[in-house]
Amino acid sequence: MNTPDDALECGHSLADLSTYLDTGEIADPDHLKWCPECQAGLASLRRLSDLGSELLNSDVADAGSGSDDWMQSILDNLRLELRPGRNIPLRSGHPNDSLFETEGAITALIRSVADSLPGTAAGKCRLHGNITGGTDDAGTGSTGVSTGTEVEAAAGAEAETDAAAPGTGITVELEIAVVYGHPMAQRAAELRRELAKTLAFQTELNVEAIHITVTDVLAPSAPSTPETAAPETAAAGPEPTEIAAAGSGAPGPEAPAPSTREAPEPADTEPTSREDQP
Amino acid sequence: MTGSPAAQHQLDLVPDALLAGRAADGDTAAFEALARRHGPLMRATARRLTGSLADADDVVQETLVQAWKQLESLRDPAAVKGWLLRIVGSRSIDHLRKRRNHMGLDEVEQQAESHVEDHAKPQIRDPEHSAVNNSRVEALKEALAKLPEEQRRCWVLKEFNDQSYEEIALTLNISPASVRGRLARARITLARTMEEWR
Repeated sequence: MNTPDDALECGHSLADLSTYLDTGEIADPDHLKWCPECQAGLASLRRLSDLGSELLNSDVADAGSGSDDWMQSILDNLRLELRPGRNIPLRSGHPNDSLFETEGAITALIRSVADSLPGTAAGKCRLHGNITGGTDDAGTGSTGVSTGTEVEAAAGAEAETDAAAPGTGITVELEIAVVYGHPMAQRAAELRRELAKTLAFQTELNVEAIHITVTDVLAPSAPSTPETAAPETAAAGPEPTEIAAAGSGAPGPEAPAPSTREAPEPADTEPTSREDQP
Repeated sequence: MTGSPAAQHQLDLVPDALLAGRAADGDTAAFEALARRHGPLMRATARRLTGSLADADDVVQETLVQAWKQLESLRDPAAVKGWLLRIVGSRSIDHLRKRRNHMGLDEVEQQAESHVEDHAKPQIRDPEHSAVNNSRVEALKEALAKLPEEQRRCWVLKEFNDQSYEEIALTLNISPASVRGRLARARITLARTMEEWR
């Protein structure tokens, strides 16, 4: 593989040095410490590598920002096919009707709840249990149900489905990131409470447990986020007027005093404006 | 469907792993945030590999289509950037292969080179870019364009995307030993050219 002029007089080749730069492997590392030829060769390859980084930076700068038109037109061309997931049957008023909601709609709802609370952002979301009403996937969600007792009580009160109905014994698994400075356990508990309420109100799922895993801590966001703009309206309390603000992306009462979180019924309607997200 | 501008802005602050997890769940807004975040590097890589900006955009688009379909198979969501770049690598190679079927190899090489030179000229004329380092970068572009294609590919995949010999071998469908050899020859030629230039 060596080109004729690749070999150095010390017996090493520039190809050896090139591999050494990538892998740190060379037959006799001690040799490099004193051999002027190898040192000159390495220095030359390192200068090239630095110049390569400069070329990369210059090319990336030339490529433009990801928020520029070129990327937008690529994204417009993609027409991403939706991933609706499984069909979840809904009770219908007439025996000849069959109604479904998609798993994708539920996970989108769950994400929107997590994103709308201050200090949290949703990641991966999984629904376990008999969500399709069939018998084939029954029991897959039975692990770890005991940890969700708090939620069980909250959700069980609202969902009056009997044991044989579709959507029983559901476990929700959600990964979230918490913004630096927010207490993780408290944010997770609040999110779990909100999710139980929202799912009970908007779906027929009989949620047994909501498992939340904090997988990331986010750097505090820029001061222009809705989070910091919200407290003014939040202080007004859960009046109907606030629902509109909440629907437009501003979270409900939260930032200053967590005790205001015990919002009554109106808060339940908050995510309705988003339920049609995919 | 892609969310409000505020939500979009929020997603821009979220780490790759979280976005990849959401995108695998079908969240198009999270996927688009990933595309915007890594788009410039994907485009720059595809352009050096294919030698043309128009081809680069085709490659980025094909990459995103493939990524959306295969996201669920990505085991480590935090590694999504390297995964996207590996797709860019193989799509770029495919692209060249397809184009080669339509015209002779020499034409492709000539086109790639003339493109690089076309691009180099206005920058050299631009007084803003007259600094020594920038003209060295231009000299590297020219030297790179003159390399045999296989060597150039190895060099770009290594220096732009920091791929391992094994990853490059998979992308180019050659052995890791060949990658090691071609990369070394590329570097030796480039280093020598740049030393002369100094």
